[in-house]
Amino acid sequence: MKLPLGPLSKDNPILVQVLGVCSALAVTAQLKPAVVMALSVTVVCAFSNLIISLIRNTIPPRIRIIVQLLVVSTLVIVVDQFLQAYVYEVSKMLSVFVGLIITNCIIMGRLEAFALSHEPLPSFMDGMMNGLGYGLVLAIVGCLRELLGSGTLWNHPVIPSSLYAAGYLNNGLMILPPMALILVGSLIWILNSKKSKAK
Amino acid sequence: MAAGMKSFSNKYIFFYITVLVVAVVALLTVVTLGLKPRQTANRTADKAMQILHAAGYQDVTSDKAVALFSRVAEKKTGEREVYGIRCADGSPGVVMRVDGKGLWGAIWGYVVLDGERSPVKGVVFSHRSGTPGLGANIAEENFTSRFVGKKLYDANGNFTSVRVLQKGKSPDVALDNRVDAISGATLTSKGVDKMLQQLNNEGK
Repeated sequence: MKLPLGPLSKDNPILVQVLGVCSALAVTAQLKPAVVMALSVTVVCAFSNLIISLIRNTIPPRIRIIVQLLVVSTLVIVVDQFLQAYVYEVSKMLSVFVGLIITNCIIMGRLEAFALSHEPLPSFMDGMMNGLGYGLVLAIVGCLRELLGSGTLWNHPVIPSSLYAAGYLNNGLMILPPMALILVGSLIWILNSKKSKAK
Repeated sequence: MAAGMKSFSNKYIFFYITVLVVAVVALLTVVTLGLKPRQTANRTADKAMQILHAAGYQDVTSDKAVALFSRVAEKKTGEREVYGIRCADGSPGVVMRVDGKGLWGAIWGYVVLDGERSPVKGVVFSHRSGTPGLGANIAEENFTSRFVGKKLYDANGNFTSVRVLQKGKSPDVALDNRVDAISGATLTSKGVDKMLQQLNNEGK
């Protein structure tokens, strides 16, 4: 089976479909929470797609959104409980953001657009790749914001102190949410200009 | 949705959702009950580790923290959470819990004091939902290390607590009684400032 690679670039959930932007702004001030959040979303997205696809023929269409929400929130609670039990440090770092996965539009979006009408295995792959496409953008934005805003990467200082001595300053604006919006906007711009050239 | 969609009766819909909800509730109950002992143990170990850190014990791993904590610390009776502790350098100290509000949710911390009116030996802060890179920085060493050696009382012996203030603001507060706030996290810094006022009456 071929992996659907679209979500990583030309069908990227954040850059093209502009879904899941709220959490992309909230968790990208540093790289580490961004990556952990991306992995959690990937897990939830892949497995909710799988479960919904498995039961898709039994779901009454009139209550399908409720059923989807039920499946997604159950998965998120289970993931959160496991994080608290087995990787306590990580769960402390993510705090409220794990719960916010429930409201991530990418997950509901993929359930509606794909899982309800496709076989379980392709649905699982679709969920996974969309989660990873989301994660890719989060990692890029998290990298830039932490590097330029705090001078660190993964909490390790990377900007040499000689540069600071020469008058270099961290850009405090990078840590604030508006800069995430501007960075995501810039990424969309780059992707669009590449696309229009290709035509 | 696929073509030739079936239509479902109301009876089916009620039955379907009831079964689904019961199944979900059963699953979540099993998961939470099953994982609870581990989570409680994690929380206890984390708290012990934080207090030990503030008391100067470096490199304590979470699996050893609880045992070490029960050896060196003892809870004092009273309404507030106060412990007597033997610090890493052998001197006796007092640990006090403080509670406050950050921008988005609860913040709390443990302050280790060196007995009566003497300087702060160390602090740890935690937060429920601080913004990473901003309010969440109160838990970072870079911030907590600013408190070491600060005093709760001014030169005249009056209680001031350790104030968290913007650099240059309120110049009448002596350097011994203040630390720099976190830029970009004004409200959470103010929350820490207010929270530390609770140390009054307790350090004596």
